[in-house]
Amino acid sequence: MNIDIKGPKILYEIPFDIPVLGRIQISETLVVSWIVILLITLLCIWLTHDLKVENITKRQAFAEMLVETADKFVIGNMGPKFKYMVPFVAALFSTSLVSNLISLTGLRSPTADLSTEAAWAIVVFTMITAQKIKSSGFGGYLKGFTQPIPVLTPFNVLSELATPISLACRHFGNILSGIVINGLLYAALAVASSKLLGLIPGAVGAVLSHVPILDVGIPAVLSVYFDWFTGVMQAYIFCMLTTMYIANAAEG
Amino acid sequence: MFILLETTQNQELVTLIPWTFIAQILNLFLQMFLIKKFLFKPIREVLEKRKAKADAEIGEATKAKEEALAMKEEYEQNMSEARDKANEILANAQKTATVKSEEILKEASENAVSIKAKAERDIEQEKRKAVNEIKDEIAGMAMEIAGKVIEREISEKDHAKLIDEFIENVGVQ
Repeated sequence: MNIDIKGPKILYEIPFDIPVLGRIQISETLVVSWIVILLITLLCIWLTHDLKVENITKRQAFAEMLVETADKFVIGNMGPKFKYMVPFVAALFSTSLVSNLISLTGLRSPTADLSTEAAWAIVVFTMITAQKIKSSGFGGYLKGFTQPIPVLTPFNVLSELATPISLACRHFGNILSGIVINGLLYAALAVASSKLLGLIPGAVGAVLSHVPILDVGIPAVLSVYFDWFTGVMQAYIFCMLTTMYIANAAEG
Repeated sequence: MFILLETTQNQELVTLIPWTFIAQILNLFLQMFLIKKFLFKPIREVLEKRKAKADAEIGEATKAKEEALAMKEEYEQNMSEARDKANEILANAQKTATVKSEEILKEASENAVSIKAKAERDIEQEKRKAVNEIKDEIAGMAMEIAGKVIEREISEKDHAKLIDEFIENVGVQ
């Protein structure tokens, strides 16, 4: 039994070699990302159509709750001066959440591609660095690496670089591990059911042993953890860390 | 023109694809823009409107309360003025009534006094008149009696003296 867990499919390619960046490839990741953007945007449009000042609908109450929760989360973690960060954090959270959960429909999560998380982590890292430079000046930012003693400079640089890497790899690793474990489980249960039903003698057993009967139901239980729990948790953790890092950077 | 070639390749399980990386950065900002435009902006507008409306209503209520208080104060002032006026009128009326009643009483007592005096005068006069009449009658009777008793004419002088004695005796009795 061979188990082959592959990366995202490359659907299209533009066959011009561009230096450094390589060929433009349109992979499953990108297509599903666009679907995610479309879904979130349509949801937003649906939530906010026909808004009223009084006698609001449940739909509007939900939309207002979302906005207020986002405000509370960002302002609670970062303080009121970072109110302008609310749409960014909301976009980060919703994209991450919908990307994680879209695997339930059978599409491949964009978050199961390291490029996605790396892109987000780089954006966050840029914001952290910008806040640090803003709060202590460029000289102060560079000097910060030699604190508390100059010998520690390489470690400080390493720890600085570890921030975006850990941010990206934590999220990616959790989603990928879910895919890997699900793949393994499906294969293992298929083998188990084939062996189990093969015990039935004669032609019936021979036919039934090709039906992976154990694959029905059991993986759904694990999916509650790997898709739902991990999906929500990682989106939350990513946003939590983002707000914390940026707020800490601003404090200098 | 770009040419899109369909492929059946898969990318590595763990790898960084530069174009996907760049596209995902752009996607994130696109998503941020879309969420801002379609969720945050309209919801914040409606929340702002609601807040403005609530503020306006509170302001109106405060104004109405102030007006009501002013009206109440005015009403109370008017009431107290009216009460004062009523008291004044009442006091004046009482005073006038007292004065008038005193006047009436005084007049009445004066009248009574004068009526009483007049009555006394009348009584006195009547009494005197009656006494004189009785005097004359008694005198006549006495003359007749005396004439019959002594059967003689007595002088006018004796006559008067006898009458006076008689009356005095009668008065003593």
